[in-house]
Amino acid sequence: MSLVVQESGKANSGAPSTRGATIHPALLTFIPLLPFILIFGFFFIYPIAALVYVSFLSNENTFTISNYVTAFSKPYNQGFWNSVKLGLLSALMGAIPGAIAAYFLEIKGSVKIRRVIAALNGVLANTGGVPLAFMFTAALGIQGFITVALKYVGIDLYANQFSLATFSGVLIVYLYFQLPLMIIVFSPAITSLRKEWREAASNLGASRSKYWRHVGLPILFPSFLASFLLLFASGFSAYATVNALTVGNFPLTPLQIGGLLDGNVSATQLHLGKALGVVMIVISALAVVPYLLIQRRVARWTS
Amino acid sequence: MSKVRSQLSLIVVLMSLGIFFLLPMGAAFEYSIRNGLEGGYSFKNYLWAIREEDFVYYALRSFWLSSLTVVITLMVLVPLLTWIHVTKPRVQGWIDGLSLLPLVIPVVAFAVGAQLALPDVVKNTVLELPFLYFILSLPYAYRALDIGLRAIPLKTLVEAARSSGANWRRTITTVIVPITRTAVLATVALTFALSLGEYTLTVLLHWDTFPTWVTFVAQENLLGAIAISMMTLIIPFLLLAAISLLTPSSKNER
Repeated sequence: MSLVVQESGKANSGAPSTRGATIHPALLTFIPLLPFILIFGFFFIYPIAALVYVSFLSNENTFTISNYVTAFSKPYNQGFWNSVKLGLLSALMGAIPGAIAAYFLEIKGSVKIRRVIAALNGVLANTGGVPLAFMFTAALGIQGFITVALKYVGIDLYANQFSLATFSGVLIVYLYFQLPLMIIVFSPAITSLRKEWREAASNLGASRSKYWRHVGLPILFPSFLASFLLLFASGFSAYATVNALTVGNFPLTPLQIGGLLDGNVSATQLHLGKALGVVMIVISALAVVPYLLIQRRVARWTS
Repeated sequence: MSKVRSQLSLIVVLMSLGIFFLLPMGAAFEYSIRNGLEGGYSFKNYLWAIREEDFVYYALRSFWLSSLTVVITLMVLVPLLTWIHVTKPRVQGWIDGLSLLPLVIPVVAFAVGAQLALPDVVKNTVLELPFLYFILSLPYAYRALDIGLRAIPLKTLVEAARSSGANWRRTITTVIVPITRTAVLATVALTFALSLGEYTLTVLLHWDTFPTWVTFVAQENLLGAIAISMMTLIIPFLLLAAISLLTPSSKNER
């Protein structure tokens, strides 16, 4: 191996290799690309392509769009609506306080404070899912500390049959990975706000509010929007938390797909789950692709 | 005056975050150490969990699966990104784009695709998981390494190493990996954490790892599952916080 590589090194320095036994240099240069293409193609592109293809097949393997017709009718349309609503609301409720917290932490927090918060955010946003669900089962359960404390001050959570396995219950739990995620993805935007801009604005006579209205917020807005879109995608497609909280019987698309995949739910159409998956990909792409494009734009401005 | 005011806003933010994060965590912890009907507190749920035979079994299984994911990630991405940064091939934009693609696909949809398409030989071995975890962590791992490699004069270093007679393998192990160790470590930590906590894909493909085992435990001993969940949130947090506090701050950090 090393001999072959030495050879191509010589070829680079201007002495073309003439030995026929070695691999062609042009091929050799693509060797680092090969494992990536193979793994990525086989474990990612191929399954996704198969998913899209099979979603258009009937039980008799002929072309059909009937899977999609079912996907957009009851109860699956309700699942999409709930998932989109949950994604939007949890993103909004996480993005605004998250952005404010990120601002004060980045501008005024010491290195140590920021690092501890970053560690906490990392754990909650990345490994949160299932442990978070159990954490809330304990904290907001019927004998949980928060429930008892709230009852003590006159708020009876369970008076209206509160349950974590409801829309608002799931929403609360989602905030615990959405807000940390917001701080993680939005903080770099805050660091790119230059001190000089504020100084320049105030030298030209701008007040604090004028600076924010004409400089600060317009600069931060694209990053905020991008972060919001990413949060939406994460809330929309989350599965772990809600599966652990509700034992899978809640009308959300990821759970419906999971049920079909497990065979817990039977459908007359074998490939309904695939169609639901493709619709999820489309909705998710509508958020993630603009997120990526905005991020790239912002990186070009700030670097 | 304004100094006090500016500190005040930080304190208000920190306190709100503290209440938001720590209150449910504290409440859940209090619940997990309750002694049941006898009253009082004890760590019996934690002891029960640790003494479970499956606890060690699944913890070890998740550990080696995640380690393997890290190995795959580094073996694929370090040579690939080095090559990209040194030769600046025309396909660079494409590879950058491809690496971000898993971010677009919801994990549930990916699981359905994998279940559908992968041949049985692959589906019957748990070794499929590290490769699938590699795909899931790719957008983050690729970006972390990319940023690390961009920060150094890679081309010059590689040319220097190569003209001093080092082959590619030697160039990567003795020059590139050491000089980019911060980025490599970040990639390792990220990939490892993501694989260790991965639940959705694992459970939908019917594999059992530590996170899926916890949901199984919950069906017979909810308090035990809560205790394990508290451990999986608190221990990594304390470890991460300790590591990041002990790391000296770099120059460009304020």
